[in-house]
Amino acid sequence: MPLETESKARVRALISEFRPENGDLLATLHKVQHEFGYLSREAMEVIGEQLDLFPAHVYGAASFYEEFRFEPPAHTNIRWCSGPACRLRNSNGIRDAMLATLGLDEIHEQTEDGRVGVINGQCNGCCELAPMVWLEQHETHTVRPVGNLTAASAIRMARALRDGTEIEGALDAAFERTPSGSGVSNG
Amino acid sequence: MAETLNALERYEALRLDADAVYEAWRMPDRPRIDIAMDTSSLANGAQDTGRALAGLIASSNANVDLGQVHGYGMQWLHPTVQVTFPDGATVLYGPVRVEDAPRLLDEANGIWGAAADLRIGMIAGERDDIPSIRDHEFFSLEPRERRLTRNLGLIDPDNLQHYIARDGYRAAARMMGRHQSEEAVRNVLNEAGLTGRGGANFPTGVKWNFLFGAPGEVHYLVCNADEGDPGAWVNRVVMEGDPHLLLEGMLIGAFATKSREGFIYLRDEYPFSIQRMEHAIREAEAAGLLGDDILGTGVSFHLRVIRGAGSYVCGDETGLLSSISDDRGMPRVKPPFPAAVGALGKPSNVNNVESYANVPLILMHNAEWYREFGTERQSGTKIFSFSGDIPRVGFMELGFGASLARVLDVCGGVQGGQLKAIQPGGPLGSLVPGHVIEDLVLEPASFAPYDAILGGGGIVFCNDQTSVMVLVEMFSEFVEVESCGRCTTCHGGNQRKTEIVRRIIDGDGRREDEPNLHFIDRTIQFSNCAHGQLSPKIMRNILQHFHDDYERAVLGVDHTLTAKGLYEVVVANQRDPQLPAAVDICPTGAIQGEEGRRKVLADLCIRCGACLEVAPNAMAKQPKTARPGILALT
Ligand SMILES: Cc1cc2nc3c(=O)[nH]c(=O)nc-3n(C[C@H](O)[C@H](O)[C@H](O)COP(=O)(O)O)c2cc1C
Ligand code: FES
Repeated sequence: MPLETESKARVRALISEFRPENGDLLATLHKVQHEFGYLSREAMEVIGEQLDLFPAHVYGAASFYEEFRFEPPAHTNIRWCSGPACRLRNSNGIRDAMLATLGLDEIHEQTEDGRVGVINGQCNGCCELAPMVWLEQHETHTVRPVGNLTAASAIRMARALRDGTEIEGALDAAFERTPSGSGVSNG
Repeated sequence: MAETLNALERYEALRLDADAVYEAWRMPDRPRIDIAMDTSSLANGAQDTGRALAGLIASSNANVDLGQVHGYGMQWLHPTVQVTFPDGATVLYGPVRVEDAPRLLDEANGIWGAAADLRIGMIAGERDDIPSIRDHEFFSLEPRERRLTRNLGLIDPDNLQHYIARDGYRAAARMMGRHQSEEAVRNVLNEAGLTGRGGANFPTGVKWNFLFGAPGEVHYLVCNADEGDPGAWVNRVVMEGDPHLLLEGMLIGAFATKSREGFIYLRDEYPFSIQRMEHAIREAEAAGLLGDDILGTGVSFHLRVIRGAGSYVCGDETGLLSSISDDRGMPRVKPPFPAAVGALGKPSNVNNVESYANVPLILMHNAEWYREFGTERQSGTKIFSFSGDIPRVGFMELGFGASLARVLDVCGGVQGGQLKAIQPGGPLGSLVPGHVIEDLVLEPASFAPYDAILGGGGIVFCNDQTSVMVLVEMFSEFVEVESCGRCTTCHGGNQRKTEIVRRIIDGDGRREDEPNLHFIDRTIQFSNCAHGQLSPKIMRNILQHFHDDYERAVLGVDHTLTAKGLYEVVVANQRDPQLPAAVDICPTGAIQGEEGRRKVLADLCIRCGACLEVAPNAMAKQPKTARPGILALT
């Protein structure tokens, strides 16, 4: 259910601990996005009231950061590592292959049915796994690092996700494993 | 009665309990398996390994406990685990995957030898002839005794008492018991020669003096934990491996700058670091080491983690302060400096994680001790992270001045080709030609002759199988996207730069590109903040050090066949049995035609490489014909 139909009271209750002029804006935005998956116009109005800021200020600040979204995220987001160790191992080929598989033109788009999106990621220092992506699902707050990808395994993974497979199944498809209990997601 | 105790006595009371707890942890009644829990080990499946071990222990009723540590530095062997036996001997194993769990448990549980092939070295004590981890080649360039990383493998990072038992918070307690004045603290740092680890290298003690002398009651002490350079994870190691070291450094900093409140601005990409730091803050508050009336001295220091949201320029201290202050995280012109106008408009001081982390160590010993390592110009040790085309990706703590060529050796040398380039300092850093590696030592001055910087500690080794133009495109896009947009010089200039580089990679290089790139370089250097000023550097390095590669790319030639527009993918063998697999995997359906007459449609091919991977003998890369201009121009 989109946030617009929820009562503003829910947002207000969620962020009641935060105060004006206390350096609380980032924490407030994170908390709302964590709960609802994105920042709706309505939510930003409530945040403005809580922190004594104009909604334009809230939106202006929020839109400065790559991590805040203003529309609901895809069911599964593929966060693609844009870093150097990954680039040395064909990460741009992996990115283009996933986008093509999903019929997307650019990063930060998602499939029409909202199942899969591709978003930009930053190196977090697991470069021994390069090239890597993270599979993210807001509904369950899942973040699954997937390392040692190749263009072909990325295509198999993206196809499976596109066709409705969930994360574990998509990883089995990516690395051509028989479905197993092992959760380690690296090829 | 408590009121009569001074800070040091209160500390000793904490210490008594901590010693007992730590002793029991180091010499456990029964064997304990500690899983390395840190961002890297977790990404490599540490949790699955942990779950498998927990399940086995429960089902077999094994006489073994489970715990956690931080990884030791060898990330290519993650997930690692340690086993500590009742005599205090601790063995490091890795990689330990789910399927290895049964024999690892056997080894811990009395069947010595069951996991012999997974042993890496001894973290503590002795067992048979297993070598000490300190003798492992990967750590052979480290000082015999670690400093910033001294507690890795030897404490549970979530346990304050472990930190205390290893002399933690003693320096802070001594200082707060007024055995050291604020001034004395700052002087020791200056004598030690501690300079900022965030890149600008400014003397930390001097900076603290600015805030100490700043007017007003409200001073903020801020930690820059944004660590935005891809390929650098130095700060992450401190925060996840020894979070109280950072807290103690900040506590000392608060005392020396008269700050009663502080912030740790921590990047969103490090959720595990955020969790560890927040846990550590709660622990320290509960023990009276943070919050109000610290160790009964009446001094208060309140610390909060501020979670960033994926903006690189928020690592710049002025951007960071704007971000903390509920604004867009845009850097601004200095002055005013943070000591005049900082967080929420109040006088502030910003230091990098590692800068703070050095402070308790220096105070625990002295300036001379600190200067044992490093060089004349740059004293002390620093954590470095190494990645790229090397088999051993990980981190080490090295004295400044260590030879980079030796570092590459212990990282296993370059993989998959010859060393082409060294990339220190992230997107605002440099690209140094590989052939000068013998001249490079890990010290800022050593990089200067190459118009290069050492930076925050991330170093990426690049082989000759990827075009340097592909690397410059990546960094150019990065600095363009991350530009805050305040000055057109930076934002527009970097857009133009990226467009030109892309056009060259796409096979449409022009003669006038080079003078234009120089022009853009000169112009962007007049940006408002350091982001803009440093953003053209890597492109400049290409023209300085890799001019041949640049020139060839402009002319349409790329021997690596990685610049997208300079090669094509073709069917090399119509009869190869794997050709159908290539047709199948192609995400754009570019391989068309009947059997025996298959062809790659150039317009559809996106050169992702998938077909080459599944059918390496059927498909091939082929250079595009060099452009007609080539003869005239060379
Ligand atoms: C664009 C940009 C990004 C920066 N990113 C970081 C960073 O991630 N971490 C950091 O400590 N310093 C970073 N700096 C440097 C900081 O502005 C500042 O110099 C540093 O935090 C001061 O701390 P130090 O004296 O302890 O080094 C960055 C600077 C610029 C211009
Ligand atoms: S560059 Fe992708 S994980 Fe470091």
